[in-house]
Amino acid sequence: MRKKSFLLAVALFLGLSLLLGGCSQKQASDKTTGQKDDYVVYTVADSNGDWGFPSPWGHYQRGPGYLRMSFIFDTLIWKDEQGFVPALASEWQYDQENKSYIFTLRDDVFWHDGQKLTVDDVIFTWEYMQEHTYPWVDLSYIENIEAKENNQIEIKLKTEYAPFLANVAGTLPIIPKHIWQNVTEPEKFTEPEAAIGSGPFKYVDYNKEHGTYLYQANENYYNGQVRVDQLKFIKLNPQMTVAALQKGEVQAAAIQPEMAEQLNTTLQVLTETGSSNVKLMFNHRQDPLNNKEFRQALAYALDREELVAKAVRGFGLAGHPWLYTPDSFWYNPNVEQYEYDPQKTAEILTKLGYQRDPSTESAYWFKDNKQLQLGLLCDANLIRAAEIIKEQLAKVGIAIEIKSVETQSRDARILAWDFDLALNSHGGLGGDPELLNRFFLDEAFNSARFQANRELVSLIQQQATIMEEEARKELVDEIQTILAEEVAALTLYYPQAFWAHNGQVPLFYTKGGIAGGIPLPLNKLSFIES
Amino acid sequence: MRKKKIITYLAALGFILILNFLLPRLLPGDPFMAIYGEEAALSLSEAAKEELRAKMNLDKSLIAQFKVYLLTLAKGDLGYSYALNQPVRTVISKVLPWTLLLVGSALILSTLIGLILGIESGWRRGTRADRWILLTVVGLSALPNFLIGILLLLFFAVQLGWFPLGGAVTPYSGFTGTAYLLDVFKHLFLPLLALTLAQVPRSYLLTRASVLGNLSYPYVRTAAAKGLKPLQIRYKHVGRNSLLPISASLGVSVGSALAGSLFIEIVFSYPGMGSLIHQAIAQRDYPLLQGILLVIALTVILANLATDILASKIDPRIRKE
Repeated sequence: MRKKSFLLAVALFLGLSLLLGGCSQKQASDKTTGQKDDYVVYTVADSNGDWGFPSPWGHYQRGPGYLRMSFIFDTLIWKDEQGFVPALASEWQYDQENKSYIFTLRDDVFWHDGQKLTVDDVIFTWEYMQEHTYPWVDLSYIENIEAKENNQIEIKLKTEYAPFLANVAGTLPIIPKHIWQNVTEPEKFTEPEAAIGSGPFKYVDYNKEHGTYLYQANENYYNGQVRVDQLKFIKLNPQMTVAALQKGEVQAAAIQPEMAEQLNTTLQVLTETGSSNVKLMFNHRQDPLNNKEFRQALAYALDREELVAKAVRGFGLAGHPWLYTPDSFWYNPNVEQYEYDPQKTAEILTKLGYQRDPSTESAYWFKDNKQLQLGLLCDANLIRAAEIIKEQLAKVGIAIEIKSVETQSRDARILAWDFDLALNSHGGLGGDPELLNRFFLDEAFNSARFQANRELVSLIQQQATIMEEEARKELVDEIQTILAEEVAALTLYYPQAFWAHNGQVPLFYTKGGIAGGIPLPLNKLSFIES
Repeated sequence: MRKKKIITYLAALGFILILNFLLPRLLPGDPFMAIYGEEAALSLSEAAKEELRAKMNLDKSLIAQFKVYLLTLAKGDLGYSYALNQPVRTVISKVLPWTLLLVGSALILSTLIGLILGIESGWRRGTRADRWILLTVVGLSALPNFLIGILLLLFFAVQLGWFPLGGAVTPYSGFTGTAYLLDVFKHLFLPLLALTLAQVPRSYLLTRASVLGNLSYPYVRTAAAKGLKPLQIRYKHVGRNSLLPISASLGVSVGSALAGSLFIEIVFSYPGMGSLIHQAIAQRDYPLLQGILLVIALTVILANLATDILASKIDPRIRKE
């Protein structure tokens, strides 16, 4: 009797909650349809949600954080699908003689609070950022900045610096002087005024614990009509993305490669390849990996096509050893490609004094009675690739011991040179060739830190100071030739990234990435009707 | 006696403070790189990097960092999270209500359900009903809680569409009053169900075992001989005596429910301490990790304290000692 009534109570509770669930859902849809018909709300979802308060110092220091800020704050220039386009500056030119850039500021730009944007604001931004580091922009190349006549600004460089347009003028958000001039701790300034910018969207709300953002279209945007009325960013478990896209709760989101085909029929799918890579790093400070011929032998032994097919199920492009993909402007096709050739590996190893005893079961190479064995450091994300590499190298007689550790530990061990071989993945390949400094010279865990070849080091340092593009390309070609010979690090493959959206806003991947090279299809220009 | 207890609790607190400080720092990896990542850190000049490191106290020795930690804590300040650009106290206080809502209700519900099922099942030991309940609950305990979560989500939210796909409220819905409460409830339902289901086996198995033990005591026969109704014997006598192990394990349950919520929160994109821990570990956010661990440790200590008091209320023998 008692049990029956208990069961009844549970059933009632469940029934009631479902009923209520249904009710409130209806109410919610009533609410949205209650708004005027042409009111467009556009929702973008990602798995993190929270990327910090959308001011230059409030956002977290990752691509998605910068992007959320970029919808509110405009820069002097910006990038569309093809290349640089005017933004706050209507035109710009480089004065080779004085090593200075001259920007002409638009005269019709207003901050979201109605005040006019002037040359003073631009100069203030520069000065403010000298005092309060903004991690996205390196201002150390700038000598000084001053106002000229006719709304012009002159920025003088200390040395010639080719990536200036992409990494400084096209990245640095201009902030309003009348709001920031008395702010001493910009990181802690998260009042709504801190998000007053001059961009296509106005800040309405940011909620950290829910990971949501709400922006309103800026009707007075100088650069054109904004396509949507409201822009929302929400947090969503990636497993739920497809369902949310299909239900229309979300208009754009990153998706798993496997879903692309299924969604292609109802939604638009965007693909991006070549802005990130998975690479093999060598500890070239110790024997035997300090020998470039040995590194070459390894390069010949790796079948990168098979890696793509098995490690990322075909959703990727086999690596071109020197970072650039063939469709990049900076790609040099005339360098050694290290096509899969195990025969060559055997030849090189023999030449280096390794021996293989055909009479024994194990077909591993020996030298001085020691088996040729290397450790391969990786994290859980790359364990599949590591297994395939192990298999491929075992085939040519090199024993591999896989050491899989958590990502941060792997990075720490790479930095401390505590590895033989390591698998690492990173983005940022689309941007300016300054990335050669980052990924081959800089002291960072995703850099090869290859200082052995002095000529190479000086060439890489030199290329960033060459302003003339053709001359720079020649130098970058030469660098790639040397990198190819040295095998400082080996790009194994470029994984593909997929986004799906409903086509309401013509999203696109920006060539070379947004601003300094963010490989996401959320360029604010796609939200503007030109 | 009481003095000794207080000393034990203080010693535990001191131990926790040291662990709180050391554990995050024992994680390999550099918080600076974790926060600034490859995109930003690489465009920073060396001087700027040094400046930021100094700001985050990363340039100081471990002992000096510990001093800073204790001094700020003494002022009642949990520190400042540089990864999130907010005082740790603000960060935690914003997510705490959601955790209390989810984990608190799950604890209460799972304990109640486990208790009732345990008593009923123990009382009917060996019968078909007992076997079925036991089988179901043990089966349930074999499923990881995130799997329960994903299955619930796939069926009720994706297939049937009865519940939202994630989050704790509909973002920017403009709901107020009852509509808002309903919205919160609708978002809470599935994660709560998942966490409750995952927690039920614990209290059920404890209660059932304890009921089985109690049933062999003579007082049960005496009660039956007095002519008490089975229901009274079950809940008033056996049930009450079986409460003890459950209440004693409350402190541990709080810990396990919090740990469980980590996965549930991620599956349901639900805000709370769990997803905060996840974020803090990934970013090597020492101050935030310290703050969260401290709050959790304090909660568990308090839960233990409450258990001690509760136990003496339930069991007069403890009071006498």
